[in-house]
Parts: sequence; structure tokens; C-alpha cells
Amino acid sequence: MCGWWEGRNKMNQVQKNLRVMLLAFEVEMRQNLTDGFVIFGILIQPLLVALMALWMLKGKGPDYAIFVVVGSGMTGLWTTLLFNGGNSITGERWTGTLEPLVASPASLRMIIFGKVLANVAQSLGSMIGSYLLISTILGYPLTLARPALFAVSLLVTVFALVCFGLILASFFILIPDFARMVNTLEFPIYILCGFLFPIALLPGWTTPISYLLSPYWAAQALHGAAQGTLTTGQILADWGWMLAFSLSYILISGKLYQVILRKARVDATLDIVGN
Amino acid sequence: MMERISRNTRIFFEGAFYSYKALFRWLNPATYLASKVLAPLTIMIFFVFIGAYASGSNNASFYVIGNSLIFAASSGIFGVTMSVGGERWTGTLPYLFGCPANRGAMFIGRAFMHILDGMLGVFIGLGWGILLFKLDLSQANPLALLLTILVTTFSTSGLGLLMGCLSLITRNVMLVNNTVYFALLIFSGANIPVEELPAWMQVIANGLPLTRGVACARTIIAGGSLTEIMPLLKEELLIGIILTILGYFLFKVFEIQAKKLGTLDIF
Repeated sequence: MCGWWEGRNKMNQVQKNLRVMLLAFEVEMRQNLTDGFVIFGILIQPLLVALMALWMLKGKGPDYAIFVVVGSGMTGLWTTLLFNGGNSITGERWTGTLEPLVASPASLRMIIFGKVLANVAQSLGSMIGSYLLISTILGYPLTLARPALFAVSLLVTVFALVCFGLILASFFILIPDFARMVNTLEFPIYILCGFLFPIALLPGWTTPISYLLSPYWAAQALHGAAQGTLTTGQILADWGWMLAFSLSYILISGKLYQVILRKARVDATLDIVGN
Repeated sequence: MMERISRNTRIFFEGAFYSYKALFRWLNPATYLASKVLAPLTIMIFFVFIGAYASGSNNASFYVIGNSLIFAASSGIFGVTMSVGGERWTGTLPYLFGCPANRGAMFIGRAFMHILDGMLGVFIGLGWGILLFKLDLSQANPLALLLTILVTTFSTSGLGLLMGCLSLITRNVMLVNNTVYFALLIFSGANIPVEELPAWMQVIANGLPLTRGVACARTIIAGGSLTEIMPLLKEELLIGIILTILGYFLFKVFEIQAKKLGTLDIF
């Protein structure tokens, strides 16, 4: 009887968390649709990067157009994750809604998860936009070598990036200068994760850094599935790395969020911007 | 007459200094340096490596020079726009439009520090190019290169002044700025030779600031003379002057409109 009761309570908790996450997702989606900078990050910048890369990389073999679609789409995913997903907590602080959120019994981490998920899901528009631009408007033939593996890779990528976003959002609070340095963090990930050129071109000492970043494994899986350059086993290994990193991000973020909330309550800085 | 000149000169330089200070003073020195030195480096590395992937590492100097000159546009567009548009965001625009100061000195002064800043950015870019990508400046005429950088930074600041005016009437200034900046990355020849672009894009490229500046810098670094680049440099200067005059004209129009409609600081 006691076990059944506990099980039911847990199910209720899961349902409540999912509801909170979905509502946060919906609100973030609606807010983003009115933000010009989000539209820039999701559509305009990736399309301009795609156009540029298309011209720069022409002559790189028959698959280069799909390589550009995936790579420029990844730039959109990262830019949106960094600027919008990263600002998920600080954004609430700016609008004065962080205090009620923290005071509510809902898990802050679930709220942030929903918000970051909305950002990452919207930024998939980057890849769709690049695909449409390059295939429909510019007339390049685009084929996905392994569509099923590509679709699953995309789902795993979304999950991995959302988990990465949980950590990023906490950095914006814990490190006051992080938000001011954010412009310097956009292109290093493009570079280190091999979005539009292989990391083998970079000096060897940067490779371990790439291996520690889940967007690198995401880019490798997506490029590999799109162009058919990786075996199923290699793509599965990429998913494995992404899921392993995601799990560690979830665990670490749990601790980080506790630290943030505790510190903000002790210092009375919950709604003080810039602390 | 002399008193008026001296007063306008003071307004020009004080406005230039304080608007620049207001834009960056809130950053700590490390963050400021990161945004000035590291961020441009990462953009340069990204495009140099795409270039190297596309056509081999022998072509690195093409991308290094192009992306170094882009730093002029970065200061010119973002810095100048934020200096002009920032007045609206910080609520100081009514005071600015309410004071009797000379509008030309006040408006063009907003670009002055960013021209110096942009030139410094180009030097930093070229410095990174020498350090990391073995950019060879031994054939370059230093004076001609300096003049090219000055004129290019001026012309892109002209575009910044024009964009700054737009920021007085739109909320989505970052969208407009970033779009123009990325468009310059494509059209200016910094990363793709202009002659390889489709004809309609070449027409746009030739009407923009920076395109001629990038071409001049490449010619000078390859050992070309000042006489060789002078016609292009004059055109680049002319584009800068036209954009500045256009920006000033718009500034005056928006001032009159905003005063008439009472929309000075309404978003």
C-alpha cells in the first residue's frame, strides 16, 4: 500500500514537472516571436553564414552543399543557445520575475529546461531555412545519405544542447562577467566543434577541448549522417558521448542551481541585476 | 565666428569622448580587452580556416587581410550606432535635442572615437595575422596602408551614423546592425572575391563602404603603390562622405519629426 502511494506521488510529481516545463516552453516561444534579435540568430545570421560558406567551399566535392546546410544550421543552434538559452535566468532577473519563480514550489531547473528547449527547438529553423535557401532558391541538389540516423541525431542533439544550456544559464549568474564576455564565446564553438571545417585543420592541442564539448559530437553525428561519411557504429558512439555529457550536465546543474539560489537568498541579490 | 568654431570643436571632442566612455566604461578592463582583442580574433580564425579548408592554407593572407578590415566595420557600425542610438535607450535624447548645440558637431562627433577605435582594431587584426598566419607586410607601403585603413574606417563609420539614425526610430537596432555587418562579410570581398559573386551582388558590393578598402589593402600589402590605389581610395572616401551627409540629414529629419509628434523617447 505504502509503495503504491509513493509510486503515485512520484507520477504526480513527474506530471507537474512536465506541465511546468511545457508552460515555460510555450511562454518562451511566444516571447521569442516578438524579439528581433532572436529572429536574427535563428534565421538571418545562419542564412548569411550559409551563403558565405556555400561560395567559399564550392569545389569541395558533391556533398558540400548538405555539409553547409548542417554546419550553418549548427551555428544558428549555438548562437541561439548562447544568447537566449544562456540568458534564461538573467532574463527573468531583468524582467523582475525571478523572485516569484523562485518562491513558487515549481523546480527552477524544469522552468529553465523548458525555456532552453523552446530556444533550441526554434533554432532548428536555422537548418530548415538553410535547407530551403540552398535547395529551393539556389537550386542545389540536397540529399540526406542516412535520413533515419540524421533524424535521431537531431533529436539527441536537441537534448544535448538543452542540457548544455542548463549549465550555460547558471554561468550567467555565477560569473558576473560571463554575460559581458558572451560575444567572445560565439565563434570559438563554431571553430572548436567543426561546424564548417574539420577540426583536424586546427592545432593538435585544441582537439581535447573539442572532445569535451557536446556540440562537437552533435556536429560530427549530423555531418556524418547527412553525408554518409560515418558508419552506424560511429554515429551511435557520437550519440553515446552526447548522452553521457548531457547526464553529467544534468547532475552538475542540479548542484549549481542549489548554489545559485542559496547564494542569492543569503546575499539578498535575487533580483539585483549584475550580481 | 572664432568663438563659435571653438565652441563647436569643444562639443565635437567632448561629445566624442563622453559617448565613447559611456559605451564602454561599465566593462572591466579584462572584458573590454576581450571584446576588442579576442572576439575579432575568433571571427578571423573561423573564416581563415573555412578559407584554408576551401582552397588550402596558402591563401590565408587573403582572408586575414579581409577580416582585419572587417574590424573597421565592426567599430564603425556597432560602436557608432550604439553611440547615437544609446541616447534614446538611456533617456538622454530629449536633453540632446533640447540643447542649442550645433547638431553637426554633436552628430559627427559620435563617430570620431570609433574611427580611432576601428583603426586600432584593424592593426590588432593584422597583428594577429602576422603572429598566427605568417602575414607578410614587408612589401607594404606603411603610409599607404595607414591611409587605406583611415579612409575605410571613416567610410564604415559613415554607415554607422546612418544606422545610428535608424536606431532612433526602431526597437530592433541589433537586428539591423547585425544583418548589415554580416552582409558586409559577404559583399565586401573580405571572404569571397567580389568578381566571383553574381552580377547583381557585384552591383551591391560596389555601392557599399569597405569593398574598395579591402581591395586597396590587399593591393598595398602585395606591394602596390599609393598611386595605384588612389582612385579606389577616393571612391571609398566619397562613399563615406555621402553616408555621413545622409545620416546627418536623417538625424535632422528625425529630430524635427520627433519634436512634432512628441515621440522623442517612445519605443
